[in-house]
Amino acid sequence: MTLRVLTVDDSRTILAMLHHTLSNAGFEVLQAEDGRQGLDMLKTETVDVVITDINMPVMDGIEFIRKVRATGQHNSLPILILTTETSQDKRDQGKAAGGTGWIVKPFDPEKLISVIHRVVH
Amino acid sequence: MSDLDDFKATYFDECSELLTALEEEFAAIEAGERDSDRLNAVFRAIHSIKGGAGAFGFSALVGFAHAYETLLDYVRDGRVELTDEVVSLCIRANDIVADHVNAAQTGEALDADYGAEEKARFDGLARGDSGEDDEGGEPLEDFDIDFTPVMVNLGHAEGEAAVEDVFDVPPMAPAEGSWEIRFTPHRALYARANDPLLLFRELAALGTMRVKARMGQVPPLSDFEPFAVYCSWEISLSEPSLTEAQIREVFEFVDGDCDIAITQAGAVPAADLEAMEEDLLADAGEADLSSLLALTEDEMAMPEPEAGIASLLDFAPEPKPVAASKQDRFEEAPSLSFADLAATIAPTPATAPKPVAVAPKAMVPANSDGEESHRSNGVQSIRVDLDKVDRVVNMVGELVITQSMLTQQMDETLRARYTELVRGLEVLAQTTRGLQDSVMAIRAQPVKSVFSRMPRLVRELATKTSKKIKLETIGENTEIDKTVIEQLSDPLTHMIRNSADHGIESPEKRLAAGKSETGTIRLSAEQAGGNILIIVEDDGAGINRERVLKLARDKGIVAPDFTPSDEQIDQLIFAPGFSTAEAVSDISGRGVGMDVVLSNIKKIGGSVHVRSWTGKGCRMTLRLPLTLAVLDVMLVKVGESPYVVPLSSIVETMQCSRASFERVPSGGRVLQVRGEYVQVIDLGKRFGLAKPTGTADQFVVLCESEGSQKVALVVDDIIGQQQVVIKSLEENFERVEGIAGGTILGDGNVALIVDVQGLRTTHLHQNAA
Repeated sequence: MTLRVLTVDDSRTILAMLHHTLSNAGFEVLQAEDGRQGLDMLKTETVDVVITDINMPVMDGIEFIRKVRATGQHNSLPILILTTETSQDKRDQGKAAGGTGWIVKPFDPEKLISVIHRVVH
Repeated sequence: MSDLDDFKATYFDECSELLTALEEEFAAIEAGERDSDRLNAVFRAIHSIKGGAGAFGFSALVGFAHAYETLLDYVRDGRVELTDEVVSLCIRANDIVADHVNAAQTGEALDADYGAEEKARFDGLARGDSGEDDEGGEPLEDFDIDFTPVMVNLGHAEGEAAVEDVFDVPPMAPAEGSWEIRFTPHRALYARANDPLLLFRELAALGTMRVKARMGQVPPLSDFEPFAVYCSWEISLSEPSLTEAQIREVFEFVDGDCDIAITQAGAVPAADLEAMEEDLLADAGEADLSSLLALTEDEMAMPEPEAGIASLLDFAPEPKPVAASKQDRFEEAPSLSFADLAATIAPTPATAPKPVAVAPKAMVPANSDGEESHRSNGVQSIRVDLDKVDRVVNMVGELVITQSMLTQQMDETLRARYTELVRGLEVLAQTTRGLQDSVMAIRAQPVKSVFSRMPRLVRELATKTSKKIKLETIGENTEIDKTVIEQLSDPLTHMIRNSADHGIESPEKRLAAGKSETGTIRLSAEQAGGNILIIVEDDGAGINRERVLKLARDKGIVAPDFTPSDEQIDQLIFAPGFSTAEAVSDISGRGVGMDVVLSNIKKIGGSVHVRSWTGKGCRMTLRLPLTLAVLDVMLVKVGESPYVVPLSSIVETMQCSRASFERVPSGGRVLQVRGEYVQVIDLGKRFGLAKPTGTADQFVVLCESEGSQKVALVVDDIIGQQQVVIKSLEENFERVEGIAGGTILGDGNVALIVDVQGLRTTHLHQNAA
């Protein structure tokens, strides 16, 4: 079954690269430009994994994860944090909000795919 | 174009938007709006630039952006105060980021220490120094940067090699004995959607795995809580080359959300491991597994407490085949190309369903829960390839031509006979016009995108010339066709350079002249009918007419016996070959004169006019067409050939006798129109088409170009007014003096578009020479 991935990032460059990498790997890719859009999409779309940036306008990634978890319907939805920050601080924030794992930007496509497989069935 | 080039194009596109946004944010911040929204936007912009730069390996840009970003982060959380000094440092930093981006785009290398001074200042500020004394301290970057650019690997040849290198890393630990892992998840592990099953799956991919589950804490089903933790596992992994780091990596995401102890077989178990086991056993109580099993019956087939995880996870019972299926897909992965790997994991890209495209903003469902209501309200947009719009523009152009052809075919008899048809054609004409306007509006862009680059230029110029210059921009939301905007940057840059370098005086001179120390350059845009006016105005010294005239005479541009008017002298700065050589500096000189500005503007169908007030300032006005595609014109005949004259420059048309042209001493002819003398240009003669006709009556198109000096164009017939679609002459042939382009008429004939301003300028020079 094709895995559906929702990517949330305000950078068009990163969205384009994610789209390329993920769709080449056979995933179905949905994209949102900020946390608010991502949250809205999750209301109507079912996805297997979410990849989200942290720094975004309107609604940042931490808030986004917190809101996704708060809905109660996405307790087991893996959410990966895509970040340029390698600092523990940001990871901890992401984790505290309910993030499942993280990917350090810029991502290596192969690693990205393996990280996704690390969190989805 | 490769994928990587595509991404780079997207990146640079994005960068230019982000840099524009930065300029705007800082304009607001400078004006006193120092709220967190602005700062966050600035932070995000730099962050995004850095993120992309990392992906493409632009390490100089990454390094600088990182240091800048760190400072911004400190400002954001209040560790560094946003003083005026910090603001101006940031503005300078924006310029440096822009230069880095530009260098990355053009492939030019910047000096290795470019921006080092500013970076040191960031470090100083971040450390809490006064900002002046930043000696001695460690640069911020050195202790904070653990951001290593990783080049994007898209499955290209060099990428594959790089991937192999990663996997060829020699093992860190000797391959002796199996690894023993004790793993007890915490509740939080489940709350973050991690799943032990997936961890086991990954471990199984690393080597031969045996798993024991400790289920001493499993309560009776009546007390069972789905997200509670009742189990812990003992895992044995044997694989000769397996390192602890590899195992740790599997648990990377759950670090902190579980107890984990990793030991190599034979090694003494860690103390915490013992404790962990004791805890488990102590708390276990009497697990009534038989009652549990009885309760669940076949709905929940719980394995025996000591049963291998293999059966728990529905794997095959024997260790080796445990991960047979998983092994297949992971074992070879490292040496496979990215695409191959992907193919083994999921359906081949070719058969995979087409991915959902980026969801356009317009499709986002309305926000129902009311919070976070600061979403962009009202304006929604989609991103469209300019090519697609251009195609529509071209087709609308053709439609306009067809429509005007139809109108032309309707002669008077037909008009009288088919009134319904005439009415229909009128409606068609209206609709066509509306359609055309709408299409043009799609390509229209606020001039902001060009204007926003100017503050930086002015800052640089002020620094270089040691002058104080303030830039005011007005009407930056005025919209012009995108193609016009693209052509605007260079001329505007040159005009502002000219103002800053030659116009604005030094602070001392200004004070001496009774002016304020700071000079002002005002850049404004406004719509004026079918044109856009862009005005660069300064309150400097104005044009030094004496010197300009002297130079023009020396260069033979103006004949010694000809005394031009002040207005003509001012206009001389645009004359080809005219450059105020004595004033050439590295700022406005660069071997380019204002004539280049003029020719650039003419190329896009515009005109330039300069007005100067000695000691008070100078104003340069660019008049630009709203669009380059369609033009309202007057169709005229010169000899047997049709020509079109842009309607925007026509004042009136008239008929007069040849005798009313009067000769002037310089050899030209003038026509008196209501007491005003107007230069006469005979188009037939000018284009070498026909001799002046002998008829008594002449048709004259009276045109006004910039500077209120009218010219009278003599033609053989005036046919009427219509719209034409402009076709570039240069693209298809070459530039012709006095001709602004070509067009195809309704009857299929080609007509040339008369360049009134060009004709007038050459006429002036010919007469002057």
